[in-house]
Amino acid sequence: MKKRILLLILGLILILTGCFGKDSSDQEKSSDQGKSSNQGKSSSKTTEIGSGSKVLKIVSGSENKELEDIMREFADDNKTKIEMTYMGSIDIMRELQSETDSYDAVWPASNIWISMGDNSHRVKHIESTTITPVVFGIRKSLAEELGFVGKEVSIKDIMEAIENGKLKFCMTSATQSNSGASAYLGFLNALAGSPEVITEEHLKDQTLQNNITKLLQGVDRSSGSSEWLKTLFLNGEYDAMVNYESLIITTNQELVSRGEEPLYVVYPYDGMSIADSPLGYIDNGNQKQEELFLKFQEYITSDETQDKLQKLGRRTGYQGIFDNNKDVFNSDWGLDTEKVLSPIKTPKADVLNEALNLYQSDFRKPSLTIYCLDFSGSMSGTGEEQVKEAMDLILDQDKASSLFIQANQAEINYVIFFDDRVLDTAFVEDGSQESLSILNQRVQEQSIGGGTNMYRALDEALDCLAKYDLSQYNPAIVLMTDGRSDDGFSDFMIKYDEFGQDIPVFSIMFGMSDSDQLDEIANYTNARVFDGREDLVGAFRSVKGYN
Amino acid sequence: MNKSKIIGLGVLLVVIITVIAFMFFKPKALQKVDGYLGGEKIGLFEDEEFKSIMSKDYGLDVNYKKAGSIDMVRADKENMNYLFPASQTALELYKAEIGTPKKSEIILNTPLVLYTHANIKDKFIEHGYVVEENGSWYMDMEKFSGAIIEGKTWADIGLPELYGSVSVKTTDPTKSNSGNMFAGLIANSINKGVVDSKEDFSNIMPDVKNFFGKMGYMDTSSHDLFEQFLKMGVGAYPMIAAYENQILEFAVSHPEDWEKIGQDIVIIYPTPTVYSSHVMIALDELGEETITALTDNKIQDLAWKKHGFRTGVSGAQDPSVFGVQGVTNQINKVMPMPDFKIMEMIIEELKNY
Repeated sequence: MKKRILLLILGLILILTGCFGKDSSDQEKSSDQGKSSNQGKSSSKTTEIGSGSKVLKIVSGSENKELEDIMREFADDNKTKIEMTYMGSIDIMRELQSETDSYDAVWPASNIWISMGDNSHRVKHIESTTITPVVFGIRKSLAEELGFVGKEVSIKDIMEAIENGKLKFCMTSATQSNSGASAYLGFLNALAGSPEVITEEHLKDQTLQNNITKLLQGVDRSSGSSEWLKTLFLNGEYDAMVNYESLIITTNQELVSRGEEPLYVVYPYDGMSIADSPLGYIDNGNQKQEELFLKFQEYITSDETQDKLQKLGRRTGYQGIFDNNKDVFNSDWGLDTEKVLSPIKTPKADVLNEALNLYQSDFRKPSLTIYCLDFSGSMSGTGEEQVKEAMDLILDQDKASSLFIQANQAEINYVIFFDDRVLDTAFVEDGSQESLSILNQRVQEQSIGGGTNMYRALDEALDCLAKYDLSQYNPAIVLMTDGRSDDGFSDFMIKYDEFGQDIPVFSIMFGMSDSDQLDEIANYTNARVFDGREDLVGAFRSVKGYN
Repeated sequence: MNKSKIIGLGVLLVVIITVIAFMFFKPKALQKVDGYLGGEKIGLFEDEEFKSIMSKDYGLDVNYKKAGSIDMVRADKENMNYLFPASQTALELYKAEIGTPKKSEIILNTPLVLYTHANIKDKFIEHGYVVEENGSWYMDMEKFSGAIIEGKTWADIGLPELYGSVSVKTTDPTKSNSGNMFAGLIANSINKGVVDSKEDFSNIMPDVKNFFGKMGYMDTSSHDLFEQFLKMGVGAYPMIAAYENQILEFAVSHPEDWEKIGQDIVIIYPTPTVYSSHVMIALDELGEETITALTDNKIQDLAWKKHGFRTGVSGAQDPSVFGVQGVTNQINKVMPMPDFKIMEMIIEELKNY
């Protein structure tokens, strides 16, 4: 007994001293991190809400970005800082699979992604916060022209309109976002002749494969997440999008306030899905965090908050839409809360995974990507290494596959090396392992040049694109640079306008970056800037989500 | 000896004295217990009254990780003190794969039932699938399973607003107990009696596979399934198979919601049905202590009155306290599940399907 007590005391002392030492350095570290994320990089998808000392970290579908004001109230009342990290629901599933301990809570669009991701059974207190179906929103005049107003519409009707070239639409990437995956499964289901549920046999069927490929040609622009699709839609000139009913409602609120035509909501009866927005706690064994989470969850599911959520177009709770919110669901926009929503069945997990793989590698519109790589003097050293590593990640198909960003068979990849002029161009016109590894090798061999002019490279990129029938591809330009270039933006704008096509120019920042010039380009071309130094994988998944 | 060393020794002395004082005088600390819990019992384990009895009377701080009944037997059990699945099948699986547990005991009971909406129940009555007896509704399982296998659509029974075929959603039978039990029930129904031979098994298996093959992705937790049923509406979840206690617990914990939706939500007892016996498997001494605590009358009483689990000690269990229509006083028509070996064969087939 004596011995034991002695040992215990010794242990205790060790632990105590250990704790003090570590504690202070940890604090420093975390406050440093706080500073860097506070700078608000244009690429960062983490948003801090409130400024309290308690911190609740949530990984969430981007559709919940619209709830930030509602969350802020909780944050202020409870002296809490809520850190929202937005990603597509399927990426959230992957985060869970990787047994992440970066978050306290998970809030994807649908329960299935928790269910498929939570292999270690850490997620608990799961509660659905809102309900919203995935629907088609089509410009009202076009919907009328297509005969979709005031009648039951099937996926087949929609596909017919797409095939006849009368309808083009935007959707999110099926391998990243729940709304995209839902729409894609709806298409598959209808093309397979509305079976009870899609099976592996259906996926192998050649006719179905051809038809889905043809159908996805109708995709105008895709994006990695639902909220961003809404933004893209509002900034561009598109006819239709597949998105959550709630996001179509808020899009319409915006369109109407601008005096523009609203979208008409179509609920395809043979290919619809419902998102139930489950909020769950990731149990990392910290009781205080669990209590904070439960408080937050109680706040979100309280009648008062649910009322506010309904005003944002969400359906909620056990009781349906409150009487005072009925007019949010405007029937002139095709909205119908009385209609029985019969979603299709989700296939089994292995079939679903296979379907997603096929989407990425075979069915989706092939991408035509032009990578403009900065090999100017300022990139020497770290910047150069980062760019080469990045290209290796996307061109090495073993690495890319594990991230669901593998190449599509028919895709085209260009690489333009630049400093203040175009140093060289290399390209491959198929997505095979061999071709891409040759391209990869070429990238790895490139050496640093002199001054910087990224606009020269963009100019060259547009020339390359001009050689192709772009309706057959999802084109995009990806700039990898530190962003410190001679000026040439006005010339670029002239050239871009002359080109007259909707080509997003994404930037991934490396080295000692400066985002000002890059933001300018992204805004002009309806694209985004990412920080490749902070989260390269995230940046690539986002870029690939958009093309 | 320099100054800091003296200070260090002083600190050490204070620590030693404090620790010794603490060891001899402090009240008995709560013992932390952890284990895997079936989702349907989370409500009970999160109940403040439950926590208070467990800590005050037994000195236990009971934690859990949610897992399906079958899953948990095969999950990583390091640092776990108990498993609390919803069936004896899980216990038998445990015995077969791991060995005889330290201790096991049935703590709670609840029958497997069907939940649906009033208009669907009415159509089922109209078409002769459901009968009413003493204010409760009963589903003829032979007839019902026949209709599903045949591929009858909702429109066929007068519900054209529902898309597709007549179906009932369950949890994944290979992972979770309520689905597993429903697989046993369906197997028995198709067999028109308990499946108890290899011959029966081969006869019914094609139909059982067909039944579950139509379901696609299945939830792994009966808690999630029930919640989705209530929230996502009749189109998404026309009918589910889950535990009787779930609706009773919901009515007690959400009185305002229940007042609004209580008339539309209907409980239907399958005829025959199967019983879910929630058995706790102790993995060590702490697990054993937990079993003792759970069989306390106070816990058992709480389990019925607030969470709807039928137990041994509460005496006559009057369901009228819940204000849920159609809950029967006594479950009579109960059929045993196919035995463990047969169930294992069924699950194995469903896994590879």
